[in-house]
Amino acid sequence: MDAARTVELAHVHALVQRVRDGDRESFIVLTRLFQRKVYLLAYSFFRNHEDALDIVQETFLRFHQKADLFEEGKNFQNWLLQIAKNLCIDLYRKQHKKDQENLLDVPSEEVQWGDGDTKTDPTHSSDLKDIFGRCLSRLSERQRLIFVMRHYNQLPYTEIAQILNIAVGTVKSLNFKAIQNLKALMSPYVGVQP
Amino acid sequence: MITCDDYKKELAAFLYGELSPRESQNLESHLKSCSACSRELNSIKKVFNGADTLNPEMESAMNQVDWEALSEKIVDHAWKRRSPSAPGYRAGIRRFWILPRLRPVFAALFLGILLGAALTFMVLRPPQSQWQGSYELIVTPEALESMDIEVVRRATLDYLDRSQYLLLDLVEASPDRAVQFWRSEFASRQAQDLLFKKKTIDQQLDSYRMAKAKVLCDQIELLFLELSQVSQEVSAAELEKLQNLVQERQLVMKIKLVKKELQESEV
Repeated sequence: MDAARTVELAHVHALVQRVRDGDRESFIVLTRLFQRKVYLLAYSFFRNHEDALDIVQETFLRFHQKADLFEEGKNFQNWLLQIAKNLCIDLYRKQHKKDQENLLDVPSEEVQWGDGDTKTDPTHSSDLKDIFGRCLSRLSERQRLIFVMRHYNQLPYTEIAQILNIAVGTVKSLNFKAIQNLKALMSPYVGVQP
Repeated sequence: MITCDDYKKELAAFLYGELSPRESQNLESHLKSCSACSRELNSIKKVFNGADTLNPEMESAMNQVDWEALSEKIVDHAWKRRSPSAPGYRAGIRRFWILPRLRPVFAALFLGILLGAALTFMVLRPPQSQWQGSYELIVTPEALESMDIEVVRRATLDYLDRSQYLLLDLVEASPDRAVQFWRSEFASRQAQDLLFKKKTIDQQLDSYRMAKAKVLCDQIELLFLELSQVSQEVSAAELEKLQNLVQERQLVMKIKLVKKELQESEV
């Protein structure tokens, strides 16, 4: 069982209160309890070790700065993952913008204008892991976030709804769309009906 | 009535074990009888299998991390940031001030504060008090003289204006109506007023050498003097005589000419 889940809610709240009072040890304990959760969310979203580490560090620094904003009685893990989610989206948009700018710098003769056959392209691995990774990265940021939260972080729909501050029905619907899109993207490579 | 589409939307939740026992039972019994929903379930399982292929990679990435060291590093960083004397803190402040993208925000804030202060001052400032100091007006003799000339000029113009209308009443009316008019109180009061006004401008006309105007005003004065003396019992014959006098001396025309001259010499 996950360490964070075994810690009682009251204990976590007491630790948060001590962090607010400037207790360094409590901050270390809280970081050790929840850093894996944050890392898993960030890594599954970016599939990049450095990005995930940056997100973990920045999430806890933000928590330290804004500890006073945490409301008593709320789920601390969800609150922390909300911070992490916002940072993930910020970084994703920054990278996405940079990618688009870099794309504009590529000379037009180097761009493949035709309809490339990805099945026979030697640079595209046929390995299911790589295929799925590429398909996942093509989802919209919201659908990708919900899918990784549900599948890799194993967060129930209700908690995802709390973290994203949306209705449970919307989470279900977005996850359904994410799965449909993944099916459609995977269909040329594996025997999945689009 | 639950449709296949409704069941398909619940398939992922079913695989994740998020449905209640009753919902799971209903779905399972539907899957036994619906091949389309069963195929959809298999497709989703394949997607999940694909997703699970990333698990080893994630586990390996997690195993690479030295969690103890990471938490220590984060806490050290946080403590550095919160201390104002720490170099990191100062660098942060400096970056905050020189960040080019924040400059428009600062400029807008500064302008907003200035505008707000100006508006507050305009709304809340006390009403302007009466000035208690003493005035000291310095006027040169030349300016005073030109002001005096202007006063005389205007007074003469006014005198000539009113005289002109009165004389026109005298000249242009038929003898009977003229007699009736000059016996009225209105005509008598007008003549008296003009005689009084003439006395007030007399001295000034002398001082400022308005000779032409002075001669004309004197002639008009004599006429009004005569009229005012006889106004109550003026006869048609006397009036006709006066009418002839006005026309003979071309008084109305002279008034017009002098008025024109005075208007042209406006200061």
